[in-house]
Amino acid sequence: MSLLDLKLIRDLRALKSQAAAVAIVMACGLAMMIMTRSLIVSLETTRDAYYRDNHFAQIFARLKRAPNSVAAQIAAIPGVATVQTGIALSVTLDLPGVIEPATGLIQSLPEQGELTLNRLHLRAGRILVGRESTGEILVGEAFAQANQLQPGDEMAAVLYGRRQRFRIAGIVLSPEFIFEAPPGASLPNNKTYGVFWMPYKELARASNLDGAFNQLSLRLVPGASEPAVIEALDHILRPYGGRGAYGRTSHPSHTRLRDEISILNGLSIGFPLVFLSVAAFMTNAVMSRQITLQREQIAILKAFGFSNGEIGRHYLKFSIVIVASGTALGVLGGVFLGERLVELYHIFFRFPELKFQLASSVVVLAVLVSSIAAIIGVAGSVRAAVRLAPAEAMRPEPPSSYRPALVERLGLGRLFTVTFRMALRNIERRPVRASLTVGALALATGILVVPNAFRDGIGHVLDYQWDLIQRQTVMVSLIEPSPARALADFKALPGVILAEPLRGAAVELRAGNQFRRLSITGLPAQAELYRVLDSMGRQITLPPEGIVISKKLAEVLGVKIGETLLVRGLEGKRVEFSVPVTGLSEDFAGTAAYMEIGALNRHLGEGDRINAAYLTVGAGQWNEFLQAMKASPRAGSVVVKNKIRQGFRETTAQSIGLLQQIYLTFAAVVAFGIVYNSARISLSERQRELATLRVIGFTRGEVASVLVGELVMLTLIALPCGLLIGSGFARVILMTVNTEFVRLPLILTAQNYAFAVLVVSAASVVSALLACRRLDQLDLVGVLKARD
Amino acid sequence: MVHALAGVDLECRAGELVVVLGASGSGKSTLLNLLGGLDTPTSGSLFYRGWDLAGADEAGLTRYRREAVGFVFQFYNLIPSLTARENVALITEIASDPMSPEEALHMVGLGARMDHFPAQLSGGEQQRVAIARAIAKRPAVLMCDEPTGALDVSTGKTVLEAIERINRELGTLTLIITHNSVMAEMADRVLTLSDGHITGEKHNRTRAAASTLVW
Repeated sequence: MSLLDLKLIRDLRALKSQAAAVAIVMACGLAMMIMTRSLIVSLETTRDAYYRDNHFAQIFARLKRAPNSVAAQIAAIPGVATVQTGIALSVTLDLPGVIEPATGLIQSLPEQGELTLNRLHLRAGRILVGRESTGEILVGEAFAQANQLQPGDEMAAVLYGRRQRFRIAGIVLSPEFIFEAPPGASLPNNKTYGVFWMPYKELARASNLDGAFNQLSLRLVPGASEPAVIEALDHILRPYGGRGAYGRTSHPSHTRLRDEISILNGLSIGFPLVFLSVAAFMTNAVMSRQITLQREQIAILKAFGFSNGEIGRHYLKFSIVIVASGTALGVLGGVFLGERLVELYHIFFRFPELKFQLASSVVVLAVLVSSIAAIIGVAGSVRAAVRLAPAEAMRPEPPSSYRPALVERLGLGRLFTVTFRMALRNIERRPVRASLTVGALALATGILVVPNAFRDGIGHVLDYQWDLIQRQTVMVSLIEPSPARALADFKALPGVILAEPLRGAAVELRAGNQFRRLSITGLPAQAELYRVLDSMGRQITLPPEGIVISKKLAEVLGVKIGETLLVRGLEGKRVEFSVPVTGLSEDFAGTAAYMEIGALNRHLGEGDRINAAYLTVGAGQWNEFLQAMKASPRAGSVVVKNKIRQGFRETTAQSIGLLQQIYLTFAAVVAFGIVYNSARISLSERQRELATLRVIGFTRGEVASVLVGELVMLTLIALPCGLLIGSGFARVILMTVNTEFVRLPLILTAQNYAFAVLVVSAASVVSALLACRRLDQLDLVGVLKARD
Repeated sequence: MVHALAGVDLECRAGELVVVLGASGSGKSTLLNLLGGLDTPTSGSLFYRGWDLAGADEAGLTRYRREAVGFVFQFYNLIPSLTARENVALITEIASDPMSPEEALHMVGLGARMDHFPAQLSGGEQQRVAIARAIAKRPAVLMCDEPTGALDVSTGKTVLEAIERINRELGTLTLIITHNSVMAEMADRVLTLSDGHITGEKHNRTRAAASTLVW
């Protein structure tokens, strides 16, 4: 080992706590980067392999009913490789010991062999094949786990109005339900929604679809045009009540996963950069102080004949050691957090196996990025060190010159104590360092604002959706549109206080070239239980003629109030009509269109019909109501509001909870690292000054307040800046979540801000106290004897 | 175990100007540390007006330094970010019965340069600011450690004149620790230290004026 390296080791030992602080901040950035990039790689490779191995379809379609023979016609569309037809049916479930009903989607298994597309992955029990078995069912894993169902357990379902008992044969996963939730949901609610499979025959018999199908999936030959196939498919299915085919980009589970990956993508770049720039700044601060302290040593080395290159390399090695330890820590941290996050992702996304894969290219990238950060950080001070002429370096640095601070020049100096003025002038003398410290502390504060803004945004959406818009106790959907008098039957159920009708109709809304397929919701003009609200939170009265659509939908279609939309029915009589847009509603999940129920029914031309009812049920008769509901033949599904809401709460708490912990830790580390390092550097630069104060009679506390006064001031400046930055971060990140499927409002609360301020202040105080402990070790006498 | 000081028996009175002479390693600094409340002796007793300093703890020593002692160092030890006036005000803000910073600076002849920062002052001026800082709280004891050590002769003399004037006008017990034997002439009493012992004690019948000293 060269003597310079020996010097390096000893110098590092003396600098260990500061070097550690830098390495840890760097490790946080790297850990976050490795965690998120690896998660993206894990999710993408796992998803792709799953799709490939289980033959996930590329085009999907739902329709009312088509004879099985139509499948051959579809197979003949140029570009189609495989066709799979089947039945899909909504069901209400009756679970043993659970009073509230759950709902789900039940799909058919082929009559012969296994599924060719969207093949199931067996988790437990056995798969159902061909015509065998009666009364058996396969259950999706998420629902089974949430409700603690095992193969052999029994459950009851109301299928097409008929209550049937089933035994669970197996627990399965499907590439169609990686995100096992109703279409459009942004969070799963596995206790109340599940997916199921059962043999075709049984399902066909139960739904009067024998010899027919109501859903299909396709796989294309390589190079085939998806839009062309969709067009041809829609053409074939039109007479059979086709609701419009769509590709993977509109598939609910696929898009939910894709959105998640795009959020991770954003996180994998932004935050790590923040941490690494802070680390670069800290490296720079530590190294320039180190080089100032070693001026004379550098001069001696140069006088002895060491070259500039050798000396430059020697100091660069400091940062190499820091980068190396930061990287090692970062990789470990990234893997640890990544593994925990993968467990969390398992709640949302169901794969046969989602393993955390450390993306080695990411580690290389991480090392590269942090090395660059450290080299940028240290380059300036090293350059200054090697430029120093030996004779000049042997002399002590000239005394630092000061001048009154800006506020004093403005004539406000008399308002401050002498020690306060010291702090002000010190800050002003090194404006770059002060602003970088403020910047780093502000970033730490800002980082903390983000997860809470997410939490509050989700909370707001839930409250908005469930308190302001939907005020029912339950929503009951009917198996098929029924005459309006069905509402009277619901009103007659035990405990029902208020019942309001809903008419849904699958349509295509078109404005010029832009179109979207969705369901128009027909409601009473001034409904009590389902209120259409504008962006000011006021209820919009649905007009006798006209349509109210989501703000987001208006944006997507490019229409304004007063303009006309072409509505094309996708089922029933397939009517076509034009309506003016009369209002824009504010909502956060999916997109919606509303019409007054009478107007909608008039346009649809099928008489006064309803598909669902919103009910308020008195708490006293809740159980009787549920019993009656489960037995009701008309009810297709029953959705209990509070149940769903609670499910959302739990899932959000889990996911946001972990993210919050991670952000909290990282922000605290940055705040701690920055304050500790600044205090240590300041202590080193000013030890003579501080020792002098001690000798002339300042108490330890008074000297400590001189030392940290400057930092307190910087922190005070940083906190409001940090809140601003954090609000900006939150806004940008929420913008990436602003899709047609999910939108989160930016909700910034005083509690959120207070929390961020508290954490950063606490971290700063603790680190400042730690640094102040070094004041006791000040060599009062020695410092006074020595010249700077 | 090496004793930096041993068998020292010393009593100083208010208003006295004592010069302590000694080569390096003689124990001068240790004596200053003990008398100035920077350290406590391993054995023996040390009193300031009945206040036991040998048994004092950290807080007690700080209080002693704060209330009773003014320090003047070889390298001035001014706070570079504070002007002359503010360096003095630093003390007057924490002292119980201080003179004003302006008064203290006038006493050392720096009335005209009060708003200059240390980097804008000469070495002699900086040292005089340090003296003003030391005396502004009207200390009972003024400790001067090689006060002219970093200065040329003529500047050194102006500093000594300032110290002499303080001692005379305020009646402050003044201890000057130095290896420069010429300063002995301005003292009431001269102590010589070597190897941790007081090897000589001399009373001057008349004190020479600082302005007449030559070295």
